[in-house]
Amino acid sequence: MKPKITFPYWGNYTFLFENLLSRMGFDCIPPEETNQASISEGSKLSPDLFCFPFKVNVGNYLAAIKKGADTILMWENTGGSCRLRYYWIVQEKILREAGHDIRVVNLSFKNFFPKLKELSGNKISNFRILKSVYYFFRELRLIEDMENKANYFRARAKNKGETEKFLNEAFARMKKAENTGELAAIKKETLDRFSKIERSVNQDVLKIGIIGEIYAVCDGKANFELNRKLGEMGAETHRRLGLSQHLTGGFFWNEKLLQMKVDPYLKTTVGGHGRQAVAEMMDFTKEGYDGVIQLLPFGCMPEVSVRPILEKISRDKKIPFLSISLDEQTAEAGLLTRLEAFCDLLWSRRRAKNNYPSS
Amino acid sequence: MTIGIPRALIYWKKPIFWESFFENLGLKVLLSPATNKEIVELGLKAADPETCFSTKVYWGHLIWLDGKCDYLFIPRLKASEEKLEYCPKFFGIPDVAKIIVKTKILTADFDERKEEFEKTLEKLRAKLAKSPKEIKTAFEAASSAARKADEKARESFLKKIKSEKKKIVIVSHPYNLYDEYVNLRIKENLAKLGAETIFIDEIPSGGVEPRDDGGIRMPDFHWEFGKEMMDKIGAALNYEIAGAIEISSFQCGCDAVMKEFVESKFKRNKIPFLYLIIDEQTGEAGFQTRLEAFMDTL
Repeated sequence: MKPKITFPYWGNYTFLFENLLSRMGFDCIPPEETNQASISEGSKLSPDLFCFPFKVNVGNYLAAIKKGADTILMWENTGGSCRLRYYWIVQEKILREAGHDIRVVNLSFKNFFPKLKELSGNKISNFRILKSVYYFFRELRLIEDMENKANYFRARAKNKGETEKFLNEAFARMKKAENTGELAAIKKETLDRFSKIERSVNQDVLKIGIIGEIYAVCDGKANFELNRKLGEMGAETHRRLGLSQHLTGGFFWNEKLLQMKVDPYLKTTVGGHGRQAVAEMMDFTKEGYDGVIQLLPFGCMPEVSVRPILEKISRDKKIPFLSISLDEQTAEAGLLTRLEAFCDLLWSRRRAKNNYPSS
Repeated sequence: MTIGIPRALIYWKKPIFWESFFENLGLKVLLSPATNKEIVELGLKAADPETCFSTKVYWGHLIWLDGKCDYLFIPRLKASEEKLEYCPKFFGIPDVAKIIVKTKILTADFDERKEEFEKTLEKLRAKLAKSPKEIKTAFEAASSAARKADEKARESFLKKIKSEKKKIVIVSHPYNLYDEYVNLRIKENLAKLGAETIFIDEIPSGGVEPRDDGGIRMPDFHWEFGKEMMDKIGAALNYEIAGAIEISSFQCGCDAVMKEFVESKFKRNKIPFLYLIIDEQTGEAGFQTRLEAFMDTL
């Protein structure tokens, strides 16, 4: 019987996964978009002290399972030192113990082709997989490009919500696009729409770097649309973390360069993207950003390990730093207050610098 | 020259060995006292609020030693003899320690995927101004001392399993098992309740369980304690165990994963299982109540 596949929800990347699998001929039942109810349901089944993204994943799967999904595809980062590598097997355990007749298939770089072929009942060719992966990367690049451009325009826009509207419409069209020609058209038209957005009178914007755990940073539902909130407060946000960087940045020479950069503060990897967080903090500081925000799931081992180092860099280089831990109990109102206070601080430092340019 | 060694966390991975090694090199060793309230409070003030309780305790010990020695010995433990990784929280400890204390730090990367333990010891040579021969002699003496301690533990274990009392296995990391302040004197309290307490690491390994165990799959743990713990639990099942208690430090990321499989293994073999989480706020009275209730069910 053909497996009915679902997978984790991950912000704007989710439809990428769906398209990839559909193009390869799989029957997909997309995961539910993260919301308070799904988070709550996922948390109920999950081990208490497990990290937040795990609980979010489980919540996302449940609706798909109700709709008939019997196979969950989960990434296994063999070689990584954080708990992500155990997600697949623990998710399977708790879902089966809760009575769901599903299995979780662990996909990784090592077994990508053979696992997918096996899943398709050996009906899919290597060529088809490659073609689908090629398209995946084209779409991925466009998604991240659009998100970056949106961050730029949103901070300068007069009317709230306009940037979001164009961005989401671009994604909706991308979901249905059949070829790279259509992708190019979507890019052109969206950039055009962005550039025509009415600007606010004051075009001064803050520049804020976002670092931390990759899931929390890249999933707007998990982080309460942090980018959007900051954009609407007149802050242009930048992140270096992302799926494309994660997939292509792991080569050994990049590792060496990364380690060389952070060496004065950290002489090792700590798992996850902990080391990257330090590197990015150093970069954002050097590039004159107004402030840096670290986003992490509550208790995330790599991020919590490096947080004292990030705080030290903040003190040494006098750059405002805000660390936000996310879990199933995070309240949106509290988060918003912290962001507003942070932006206020950044604006007052800006004004002080403008009045006393030498300081 | 005095070498300060925090009696917490990484120390417990090789107790006896390190102080013996430095003493055999003719150096003075200052081991921090057994964990106490003052030390825990020092740690709580300095540590990140979200890090595991075990790490907070470690910082307390480190701060207690700060200024009382010439070097603080903080090895960077990355991978064990079996080429399996230590807890990732261990990796960055020397770097964060630099921020927290003023005393100079003596460290080296202990990663047996890259080089043998003995070779790494030689890297300490320069700072300690010792010759390769002195290092080698000290290593052998320390290894011998550690082996003797292991043998004693073995003998004590063999006596314990012959005991008529109810045998309770405590599953946890050595820094929780051997730290009586942290584990709220669980051994003593269980003894009062008539139990014979056996720590998981006292059990000799042996008896590999099949991986696919009744519909629930068991992962290949990449942590050095992961595989060892599961093997020892497998071995424990050969003895008449009345019950098992797992203790986790609050916010232990690794245990969040391990606990699922530890619990499964005991429950599948019909051994009563109790899971306890400890942190700075765990009260001894409440703890005692749970132990009593557990013992009553056996």
